[in-house]
Amino acid sequence: MECRRLFARLSEYLDGELPAGICDELRAHLDGCRPCAAFARELEATVDLCRSLPPRPVPPGLRRRLRALLERETGR
Amino acid sequence: MGRAEGAPGHDDAALADALRRGDRDLLPALVDGYASRIFGFASRMCRSAEDARDVVQETFLAAVRSLKDFRGEGKVSTWLFRIAANACRKMRRRGKFEPERHLPLDEFLPEESGHRAPGPDGAADTPEVALLRSDLREALEAAIADLPAPYRAVLILRDVEGLSTEETAEALGLTPPTVKTRLHRARLFLRQRLVEHT
Repeated sequence: MECRRLFARLSEYLDGELPAGICDELRAHLDGCRPCAAFARELEATVDLCRSLPPRPVPPGLRRRLRALLERETGR
Repeated sequence: MGRAEGAPGHDDAALADALRRGDRDLLPALVDGYASRIFGFASRMCRSAEDARDVVQETFLAAVRSLKDFRGEGKVSTWLFRIAANACRKMRRRGKFEPERHLPLDEFLPEESGHRAPGPDGAADTPEVALLRSDLREALEAAIADLPAPYRAVLILRDVEGLSTEETAEALGLTPPTVKTRLHRARLFLRQRLVEHT
């Protein structure tokens, strides 16, 4: 598999969404191509960092306003 | 992967059942369980905190008004994100014109190797590592904000909120292949920005 084809499928590979045949082909390519392997590690680290972002704090009072809004809307 | 689902004391399936029955007693649980995630999505999609608050309010109001449309075979989170994504689109149309930008794949083709992976991994956090991680998160948040909106929405739902490809497609009204294409380009954009940062 040439680098360019691998490059287009790399996210699907990291997400485990590639069919087995292409996945094996891609893994074999990564084993033998250091630049592509380094690129894949960088991309994976980027995804890991996204997944580790902490939740954004809800502004004070917003939940209370929402509950009040929904109570008004439903006539309670 | 992704955020913890559901409202405290109510699992997503139980809440979905209650909503499908039109049980409004659980509306506070809906707010408690999902306000944080919907605000996280809206605040990353909108240009201002005020717009994000408006989107959250519009989302929950629209959800209550369309309870009968909640079919229940999907997750509550997917349903709410779909409403929130529509509210964000409406907000953008009302706001300042943002030219449509695309991220061509060729823009991200690697020219050389040898960059170090962005971010510390593996080892337990020393204060230095924690600082580096915090600095990287700031750089990452800035890069996410710079993504064109259609790519940003996909990236947030898939990689920050942990929705599956199919759930993201359903929430944004896209096909799964389009979700995959946009996600890959968004990740490439972020990787490039983080590598430049480190």
